[in-house]
Amino acid sequence: MIENFLAGSSALFGDPVTIAIFVFGVIGGMLFGAIPGVSMLTLAAILLPFTAGLTPAQGVMLFAVIYCTGTYGGAITAILFNIPGAPENAPTAFDGYPMTQQGKSGKAVGAAVLCSAIGGVSSALIMMAATEPLAQWAIRNIGPPEIFALVFFGLAVASSVGARTIWKGWMSVLIGLLIATIGQDPVGGINRYNFGVGDLAAGIAFVPAILGFFAVSEIFVQAERKAGGTYKAPKVSMSFPTFLELWMHKFAVLRSILVGFFCGILPGIGATLAAFMGYGEAVRWSKDKESFGKGNLEGVISSETANNAATGAAMIPLLALGLPGGALTAMMVAVFQMHDLQPGPLVFYTSPDLIWVVFAAMFYANLSILIIGLVETKTILNLLKIPFQFLAPLILMLATIGAYISRGLVLDVMVMFIAGILGYLLRRSGFSIPGIVLGLILGQIGEQNFAQGMQMVHYDLGTYFSRPICAILIAAGAVTLFANIYRAFAPAAQPR
Amino acid sequence: MGRLKRGHMIEAAIWLLIAAVFFGYSFEFNQPIEIYKFGATAWPRVVVVLLVVATLGNLYYSYLYGSSAQQGRMGISNEGPQTDFSDPGTLTKMLAVLFTPFIFAWLLKPVGIYFAAPFFIAAIMWLFGERRIKAILIMTAVIYVIFLGLFLVILNAPLPQGNTSPFYDYSAWILKMNTQLQNLW
Repeated sequence: MIENFLAGSSALFGDPVTIAIFVFGVIGGMLFGAIPGVSMLTLAAILLPFTAGLTPAQGVMLFAVIYCTGTYGGAITAILFNIPGAPENAPTAFDGYPMTQQGKSGKAVGAAVLCSAIGGVSSALIMMAATEPLAQWAIRNIGPPEIFALVFFGLAVASSVGARTIWKGWMSVLIGLLIATIGQDPVGGINRYNFGVGDLAAGIAFVPAILGFFAVSEIFVQAERKAGGTYKAPKVSMSFPTFLELWMHKFAVLRSILVGFFCGILPGIGATLAAFMGYGEAVRWSKDKESFGKGNLEGVISSETANNAATGAAMIPLLALGLPGGALTAMMVAVFQMHDLQPGPLVFYTSPDLIWVVFAAMFYANLSILIIGLVETKTILNLLKIPFQFLAPLILMLATIGAYISRGLVLDVMVMFIAGILGYLLRRSGFSIPGIVLGLILGQIGEQNFAQGMQMVHYDLGTYFSRPICAILIAAGAVTLFANIYRAFAPAAQPR
Repeated sequence: MGRLKRGHMIEAAIWLLIAAVFFGYSFEFNQPIEIYKFGATAWPRVVVVLLVVATLGNLYYSYLYGSSAQQGRMGISNEGPQTDFSDPGTLTKMLAVLFTPFIFAWLLKPVGIYFAAPFFIAAIMWLFGERRIKAILIMTAVIYVIFLGLFLVILNAPLPQGNTSPFYDYSAWILKMNTQLQNLW
């Protein structure tokens, strides 16, 4: 492994063009992740056609680097503006934004830098050591029933955070699942709920919906506060977390690495669920559950460690099985195909150089988060000093471009603004925006894997429970669900 | 009535209506799939039914406890004091903020982003309470230049150019300027 890693490193740093692409990916990912209104997906969508002019190794490496640094960059906007750069940063906002309101933005961003780097580097190391055996384990033990069970567990966890009541938590998730049914059904390709609009046959694209629910709705919330005279400018603070503060959360970091890596390795699940599960587990194991959502540093640490730990793991199903774990890894498949390559088990034998350049680049990209992140944090924190009346049009402009660029449809811009209004109204009523987004992302994956699973077990649902991993995940989801319902009506659960 | 208010019942009625529309519309694509006996409708219908259950559960919770948040909930999206919209001025301002982006989105096809963007940027600043004309003009120019510099000059991103004259001609002129700029290096 070490020899391969060194060979990958020398291929990466031995060619000036490859170095330039690596640096562009690192800075571009961080920048697009950290600018409110656009995300790493916007950058990736713009860059996709240009990768045809690069070598396969350079193209895949560029996207892998953007994935690592963009996942970290999205935490910045989540913490400073309550606008997650990507869905995987949504749980970061639960505690990160309250910390900003309390004047502790420096601590939250500092923790995000460090934990993203730790999560990402650990994940890259495990990925390098264990891609092949883990891929073989996944092939043997993870099938559609297990993925469906994990989706169910993830949705149960998502329903328990972010909304005013468990019912609104589940309603949020179900709204997301309902939106995900718009477009073609994943088994037979039959058009559903297009309401006579031709472009809706392709479904609701993630990027505009996510931008609308997160970025545009937050602009509307701030507009309401401006209109009502209750707007408070966030406080800027430059104090980073101390070593002792971070050391106190070492178990949370370790747990989130494991959770993040496990979620990342499963095809189709990716970093979003990892972040929710990392956050959910932090709450579950904490002695001070009430402090979560009010500015608990462990909330930021758990979510950011888990989502970056998933980035390395998400490469395993992509490279070993040819299955993308999310939107960005799906674009990597397109990069492979542009160069007449097909990701899958054979790529380890046909293009080992490419694999190790990508592995080495991901390792160094995660290290760069630590180095560049700490340097740029102080500059980024100054974004808070820009008056919101100037920041709002910039965010809306960038979001408009971000929504339009991936498919070139004005309809997507409309969808974004509709999602923005819907998100604003639902937030006022105590619904969970991250819950809706997770439902939207996991809806198709859940349905597809449920259908495949049912076909596999000849429509005998009981077979799901004879598969140990599947049974454990369904049981865990059911326990989470019923415990929350019990809490909703238990005598001790007096509302606050 | 317990602690139920009219708002709770309206909210529940809206969700039940949405569920009814989605359930009813599912008959439009109720076709069999040869390889999957549950067809294309089973999943959406289950989601709709669960949405009805959750809506009724929420209504019952509101009956018992009103609008209060459940104890132990984390990361609630929008806690804190909510604005009183009984003042018509506040309501008008908010409605203008909500609908201006729609007008902008609707204008993208006929007018194009290059022409519509400066007006949209200035309008949003105005709606967010900025009243200094000089500040609006300067910041609009700054944001417009950032937008052109990043997406047109550096990234060459394909953006809507409009399809009616003279807006289309303006977009064509901007693109021509960009090409000439690119040719300089």
